[in-house]
Amino acid sequence: MKQLPINILLTLATCRLTSSETVGPTPTPLAPVSSLPTNTKSVHLTGDNKIENVELLNPVNLSLECIWTGNQNKQPNITGYWRKGGMEIQDSRVPVDPENQQYTLQRVFNIVSEEHLGNYTCVFENEAELDFILAVPQIGERREKPIVSYVGDFVVLTCKMEDNKPVPRTWNWFKNNGTNKEQLFEAQRYDITVNGRSAKLKVKDVSEADSGVYHCAAVYNISTSTSKMHLKVITIWEPLKPFLSILVEVVILVTAILIYERSHSKKKEAEANGPNADPKNTQPQGEDEEAEESTSVRQRKT
Amino acid sequence: MANGKLKSQSQGDGAEGPDGGWGWVLVVAMFVSTSLVFGLMRSLGIFFVEFVQYFEESAQAISWISSIGLAAQQFFSPLGAALCNAYNARLVVMTGGFLSGLGLILASQATCLVHLYLSMGVLSGLGWGLVFTPMVATVMANFTRRRALAVGLGFSSIGLSSFAFNPLFLLLVETYTWRGALLILGGLSLNIMACGALIRPECLSKASTKVDSQSRSSQPDLLQRVSSYLEVSLLCERPYLTYALGVTLLNFGYFVPYFHLVAHSRQVGFSEYRAAFIMSAAGITDIFGRIASGWFSDLGRFRVVHLLTLWSFLAGVFIMLLPVSSLTRSYTVMIVISLLYGFCSGALTSMVFAVVPMIMGVERMMGGLGLLQLIESCAGLLGTPLSGWLRDMTGNYTASFVVAGSFVLLGSLTMTTLPHYFSCAEPPPPQRPVLVDNSETLNLELVQKDGCSPEFNHQTAEQRER
Repeated sequence: MKQLPINILLTLATCRLTSSETVGPTPTPLAPVSSLPTNTKSVHLTGDNKIENVELLNPVNLSLECIWTGNQNKQPNITGYWRKGGMEIQDSRVPVDPENQQYTLQRVFNIVSEEHLGNYTCVFENEAELDFILAVPQIGERREKPIVSYVGDFVVLTCKMEDNKPVPRTWNWFKNNGTNKEQLFEAQRYDITVNGRSAKLKVKDVSEADSGVYHCAAVYNISTSTSKMHLKVITIWEPLKPFLSILVEVVILVTAILIYERSHSKKKEAEANGPNADPKNTQPQGEDEEAEESTSVRQRKT
Repeated sequence: MANGKLKSQSQGDGAEGPDGGWGWVLVVAMFVSTSLVFGLMRSLGIFFVEFVQYFEESAQAISWISSIGLAAQQFFSPLGAALCNAYNARLVVMTGGFLSGLGLILASQATCLVHLYLSMGVLSGLGWGLVFTPMVATVMANFTRRRALAVGLGFSSIGLSSFAFNPLFLLLVETYTWRGALLILGGLSLNIMACGALIRPECLSKASTKVDSQSRSSQPDLLQRVSSYLEVSLLCERPYLTYALGVTLLNFGYFVPYFHLVAHSRQVGFSEYRAAFIMSAAGITDIFGRIASGWFSDLGRFRVVHLLTLWSFLAGVFIMLLPVSSLTRSYTVMIVISLLYGFCSGALTSMVFAVVPMIMGVERMMGGLGLLQLIESCAGLLGTPLSGWLRDMTGNYTASFVVAGSFVLLGSLTMTTLPHYFSCAEPPPPQRPVLVDNSETLNLELVQKDGCSPEFNHQTAEQRER
C-alpha cells in the first residue's frame, strides 16, 4: 500500500522528464511574455529619413513608436505597417488616424534572442518611414591594419568595449580555422585575461601557423558582439632585407667618397708640386706621401 | 717669423678664408647628419605608444628613454669636441655615426626597458653627441662670410625631417613593428658615417699645433692636454661666460612652446586637429626662419650679435603673446602669433651658433661649442618641468608661457652685456696665442701638407722667403 504514492510520484517524475524530452529542439524555454521588462522608443519623423540605433543587452518587450506630423495633403487616414529586415510583418497593417495633426504608429515587439534583432521599419504608406536598428553594443575600436609579430616573440590582442557602453557578461576568443571559427581556451600558449570591459589574448612563442583572423566576442544575454583582427607573423628576415640594402649603400658611399678624395688629393699634390718643382727633382708622384713631403721640405730648405 | 705665422693664421680666418667650394658639400653632410640626429630624436614619439603597449610600463618610464638620449647627446658634446681636437673630426663623426646606429640596432633586440635605456638612450646618445658638435664646428670653420647661411641651411633639416620622419616611422612600425623599425633606423643612422667621410682633414690640424707647442715641455701633463682639448680655459673668460649665461636663459624658455602649445590650445578649446596644426605652423616657419636669418645676417648690414638680440627679443615677446592671444579665442590670431614665433625661434637658432666664432675665434670653436651644449643642456632639462609645475600650480598655461617668454627676454638682455656690443663694426675675433719658433714652423708645414689648398702653401712660402 505504501508503494502506491511512491509509484505515483515516480510516474509523475518520469512523465515530467519524458515530456520535457519530447518538446523539440528549442534551446531554452521562452520566458513568459509578461515577465519581461518593457522599453519604449519613440521617434518623431522630421522629414529626412532617419535611422535610430537601439542598443539591447537583455531580453525585453520593446515598444517602438513612430510619430509623423503629416504634410500639406492632410489625408484623413493613412495605412501604416511594419517591416522587419525589409519584409512586411504579417498582420501589421493598421489604419492611422490623425490626432492633433499627428499620425502615430506603435507596436510592441518581443525581443528575446538574436533572431529578433535586426532592422525594423515603421512605414506610413507612400509618405514616410523610419528604420530602427536593434543590435547589441558594438565594439568601437576596430584595427584595420594587421597586427604584426615576429616568430618566437609574444603578441597581445586586445578588445575593449567603450566606457559609455554596458559591460558584457563575458568575453570569448575565436580563431578562423578554414571556414569555421574555433574557440580558444586558456592553454599553454594562450593566456586569456578578462577585465569587465576589456579582454586580452596573449599568444606566446608565436609561429607562422598562428597567422590568421581572430575574433573577440563580447557576450550579452541577448546576443554577442564580435570584432575581428588580423594577425600576421613574420620572420626576422623581413626587416633584415631593407636593413642589409641600406648597409650596402653606406659601405658603397663611404668607399666611393674615400676613393674620390684620394684621387683628388693626388691630383692636387701633383699640381702643387708642378710649379714648385726643382729641375733636379725627379721624384715620381707616388702613393708615398711622406716621401713627397720630405722631398718638398728638402726643396724649401735650399 | 712668429708674427708672420700669426698673420697667416688670422688671414685664414678673415676675408680670405674658405668660403664655398667643398664647404657646400659639408653643408649637405651637415643637413643629412643633423636630420638623422635631431629629426630622428623628435620623431621617436611614434615608438612611445608601441613601447607602452609591449612593455606594459607607465608613460613616464617610457619617456625617460628619449630624455636619456637627449641628455647623453648634450653631455657627450664636449667629449666629441675634445676628441676632434685630439684626433680629427672625420674619425670622430664616423665613430659617432657607427655608435648611434649600433645603439638603435641593439635596441631592436631589447627584451626589457633597461635594455632600451642603455642602447637607445646612452649608446645612441653618445653617438649623437660625437656627431653634432664636430659637424657644426667643421661647417663653420669652412665658411667665413657665408657662415650663418651655411649653418641655417644645415639646421633647416631638423624641421623638414620632423615632417618627413613622422609618417615614415609610422609606416615602418606598421609594417615591421617597432623591432624591425628600429633595426632599419639603425641602418639609416649609419649613413652618418658617409657624412663624416666627407670631412677632409683640416689644414690647421689643431692636434699638431698643440702637440708641437707642448713638445717643448718633455712630458705634457695629461690633465693639461685634456683641459686644453676641452677648452676649459674658456670658462675663465668673461665674454664666453656671459654668452653661455645668455644662451642658458634662452634655453629655459625656448622649448616650452614645443612641449606645451598643443596642450594649451586644446585647453583653450580647439579640437585635436586644429591644435596640432598650430604646432605645425610654427614648425614650417621655423624652417624658413633658419634659412632666412642666415642669409640676412650674411649680407653684412648688421652685426650678428645685434641680430641675435633682435630675434631672441622678438621670440620672447611672441611667447608671451601666445597665451594672451588665446584669450581672444580666435583661431586666426593664434595661428598668426604661432607663425611669427616659429620664424623668430628658427632665426635665433642660426644666430646662436653663428655668434660663437665671433666670441672665441675659429680655432677654439670646437671646444667652445661642446662646452656650450653641455651648459645649455641643464637649462633645457629644467625649463620644461618648471613650466609644467607652474601649470599644475596655476591650472593653466598662461603663467608658464609668460615665465618662459621672460626668460628668453632676459637672455637677450644678457647678450647686450657682451664686450664691444654697442660698436657698429665687428671687433677682431680673439686670437689664440700660438707659441712657435723657427724649428716648429717646419713641423707645422709638414702637417699642412695633408690636403691643403695650394694658396696656403704659397703664403707660408712667402713668409719664409721674407
